[in-house]
Amino acid sequence: MDTLGHLAHGFAVAFTPTNLLWCLVGTTLGTAIGVLPGLGPALTIALLLPITYQVVPEASFILFAGIYYGAMYGGSTTSILLNTPGESATIVTALEGNRMARSGRGGAALATSAIGSFVAGTLGTMGVAFLAPTVVKYAIKFGPAEYFSLMVLAFITVSAVLGSSSVRGLTSLFAGFVIGMIGVDLQTGQPRFTFGTAELLDGVDVIIVAVGLFAVGETLYMASRRYAGKDEIVPLKGSLYMTAAEWARSWKPWLRGAAIGFPIGALPAGGAEIPTFLSYAVEKKLSKHKEEFGTVGAIEGVAGPEAANNASAAGVLVPMLTLGLPTSATAAIMLSAFQSYGINPGPLLLTTQANLVWGLIASLFIANIILVVLNLPLIGLWVRLLKIPAPQLYAGILVFATVGTYGISQSPIDLVILYLLGAAGFLMRRFDFPTAPVIIGMILGPLAETQFRRAMTIANGDWTVFYRHPLSLTLLALAFLGLVGPHIWAWIQQRRRRGPEHVPGDA
Amino acid sequence: MSTSEQQASAPRLALPELLIGIGLLICAGAVAWQTLAIPVSPLYSKVGPTVFPYITMAGMIVLSLLLILAAIRGGWQPQEEKETPTDWKAMGFVAAGLVANLLLIQPLGFTAASVIMFVLVCFGFGSRHPPRDALLGLVLALAAYFGFAKALGVNIGAGLIENQLNALLGAAFSGKGG
Amino acid sequence: MLNRRNFLAGTAAAGAAAIAALHLTPAFAQDTPQLQIFVPAAPGGGWDQTARAIDQVLRSEKLISGSQITNVGGAGGTVGLPQFVNQWKGKGNSLMVAGMVMVGAIIANKAANNLTEVTPIARLTGEFEALVVPAESPFKTATDFVAALKADPSKVPVAGGSAGGSDHILFGLIAKTAGVPAANLSYVPFAGGGEALSALLGNQVAAGISGYGEFSEQVKAGALRLLAISADKRQEGIDAPTLKEAGIDVELFNWRGVFAPPGISDDDKAAMIKLVETMAKSDAWATECKNRNWTPILLTGDDYAKFVTEDTARIGAILKDLGLA
Repeated sequence: MDTLGHLAHGFAVAFTPTNLLWCLVGTTLGTAIGVLPGLGPALTIALLLPITYQVVPEASFILFAGIYYGAMYGGSTTSILLNTPGESATIVTALEGNRMARSGRGGAALATSAIGSFVAGTLGTMGVAFLAPTVVKYAIKFGPAEYFSLMVLAFITVSAVLGSSSVRGLTSLFAGFVIGMIGVDLQTGQPRFTFGTAELLDGVDVIIVAVGLFAVGETLYMASRRYAGKDEIVPLKGSLYMTAAEWARSWKPWLRGAAIGFPIGALPAGGAEIPTFLSYAVEKKLSKHKEEFGTVGAIEGVAGPEAANNASAAGVLVPMLTLGLPTSATAAIMLSAFQSYGINPGPLLLTTQANLVWGLIASLFIANIILVVLNLPLIGLWVRLLKIPAPQLYAGILVFATVGTYGISQSPIDLVILYLLGAAGFLMRRFDFPTAPVIIGMILGPLAETQFRRAMTIANGDWTVFYRHPLSLTLLALAFLGLVGPHIWAWIQQRRRRGPEHVPGDA
Repeated sequence: MSTSEQQASAPRLALPELLIGIGLLICAGAVAWQTLAIPVSPLYSKVGPTVFPYITMAGMIVLSLLLILAAIRGGWQPQEEKETPTDWKAMGFVAAGLVANLLLIQPLGFTAASVIMFVLVCFGFGSRHPPRDALLGLVLALAAYFGFAKALGVNIGAGLIENQLNALLGAAFSGKGG
Repeated sequence: MLNRRNFLAGTAAAGAAAIAALHLTPAFAQDTPQLQIFVPAAPGGGWDQTARAIDQVLRSEKLISGSQITNVGGAGGTVGLPQFVNQWKGKGNSLMVAGMVMVGAIIANKAANNLTEVTPIARLTGEFEALVVPAESPFKTATDFVAALKADPSKVPVAGGSAGGSDHILFGLIAKTAGVPAANLSYVPFAGGGEALSALLGNQVAAGISGYGEFSEQVKAGALRLLAISADKRQEGIDAPTLKEAGIDVELFNWRGVFAPPGISDDDKAAMIKLVETMAKSDAWATECKNRNWTPILLTGDDYAKFVTEDTARIGAILKDLGLA
């Protein structure tokens, strides 16, 4: 009803030449910083905060919104082409996206990610515009018990990336738990697994782990088998963009990804990574091309998670704009930018600052359009990156990884961790350990632990909270079905087909 | 990584895999040691900071024992990986590049360290044009330094090269500005 | 070759365009001596914002030509502090922003360096804390809250920031004056303000403690009820008693201030104190504080040094009670 009027007014604010220029600058800068691991939108906006002293609020928020959405695009580009995720929300994209790039479908992977991001980003922004007040009412009902159950549900996604052996897959997962627990325990303030090092008290950044295992590990691996002649990169096979078949395989994952990403992003402790895990697991389960997962790369595994992370980026704005709740680092910085203007973000923001908020929402729509228009033609250029000869390509990746990790923190310890993980990544490749469960374990482990202990503290040690809350119980039931159902089914099938003989070396 | 052996597929002990299994067991030990070092105050005895570490440790012990068992039964490394000889020289150069970067980034600054790493890695991968690679590395590192560090005001490890260029730029700017 | 060159040219052009468009390169060379500000935290947090506000006001008041801000984040400032103590020693034109959080982190992390090793210049701002409850809560006053706490502290889960931080410390102090043993408290730490707020709005915890600014808008909108604030006196425009007025003898400011490195000359120290004092008394600074909900609590030189020592002792004692030191 009134929303459309507000939105029209918002577009009037955003559609001035100056503001369009800010949007363009923001999206370009966002894309650029998105490709650098370690330099994310939160840090960039924090560094640009002094701009709030110089320009009007509308302009700076339009700039920030562009950076925010742009970073998601940039992060996926390097994930796909270089196996070097720039943002934690694009780690999953690397799994299938990089496989596709190596088998000549990098253009299609980039296209499905750009268009999927556009579709999901637009749907998500529409969600912000039309559904925010409703969604947020449900979102704050989510307590620690519900979050813990959501984490349990998310753990079923591990099964999608376990690889050929569950023992080795679980070993990777547990290694992820250990890395995730490094640092000060949030609940009690006690240091864990820090070996007395102050630099480890804040924990290890998930991006460093992803880049170490994926990119540095990959570089060492490729060097070690330089004469093997396999795994050669095919820059381009077939059409640069998506074929009709690829379109047909992409559109459903986009919509499903958006449907998973937006509500979880709107949860105060939802985050951007979990929806990408969930979307990946869902797409792998539903895909008719399971054989492509982990081999030549399945387009569903790029389309879904990419849509999910952009929709969740929009979702994060729901609690921020309706209640003034900063639920991600980027949202927190944006709120402090509001304060520089003497605007106190809170539940009244939407009424007291309608112009600003609707201008921001309108500029999100525009940012999305600019990004897709900017990125699609660039695909041709990006794909050529893959034609760079191996020596310079891999050397460049390492320089890149260094800027991201050391550049921001100035801590040599971060570089040590990066390279050690690179060595680990190399061994894992050689000995067929999947690397993705490390990342999943590292993100989900500590979250699950925190929420579990929080729920127990609030409930004063009463275990029944997890199934007394209906929402929590539903999530647990879903997780149970997802985890145990397929295994029992497969086991029954297997028992029918062949005897329980153990094949050596197939552990 | 002894990759030469094993033509017959008869189950026999696989040394590299066994070492991995044992290594993991040692890691589990390290986890146990660090978990014992977590100070647990009586305040939080309900679900304290050590509960999850202990669960993780138990899981790791079970998994490493399973891996050791699998190693004794002949290992699991894919045949294709086993048959591929490791190019130690190439890997050595790449590793040397990483170590050089780590050691030099503080004394020499980001750009110089990156160029050295770039050249070493390129050489490891078979490029035989170190001067050209050095130039490419320099361009890339400077683009990164000025593109990101300067535009955002992040100080990414300035060293000799950066300082010289900054001084140069500073001189140029103040010259223009008067 | 051609392709690579195209690519590199493209990147360089994009980078140059971004710089040109933004045109706000704060770090570009200026040949007059600058102020160096060391922030032992990542960009975006309270100390970083303090540093950027100092920079802004000093420049707008034409007291300096510009300043360079260095961020070395981590572990509540205890990663940055050793660097400031060792590598910045004797640099008379530099300042470090720090505050109560660092005092707590030094004690809790058993850090090797502490704030007696640097030169106290001035305490600048403080944020008082607020005790709030969800709108539906049965607690109408701080007295109700304390009574419930005395009856059974395990039934009164309180949300706040990280363990050992200012929110946790205030909760410990309140419990102490009420005679409730710290060991029985049910404190639920949250990493970010947003998460703690949503737990309060979702009525999942009994009460919340955090900086007043975190809650102010929710209080105005009627979603939370403000029971008391930790300031020394009633605040204009805030309809709530101080903890002292409510019969709880506790006062707490999450203060922030600036320190110079060790080993600077007395002249440098005096000049720096004068510079900061002039800044803190300017109108621009007052506006900055008002916008950000900071209470100006200026205290300089030796008085400040004395204050830091006393606060360290007080915080050390309460962290011990809370099992964190």
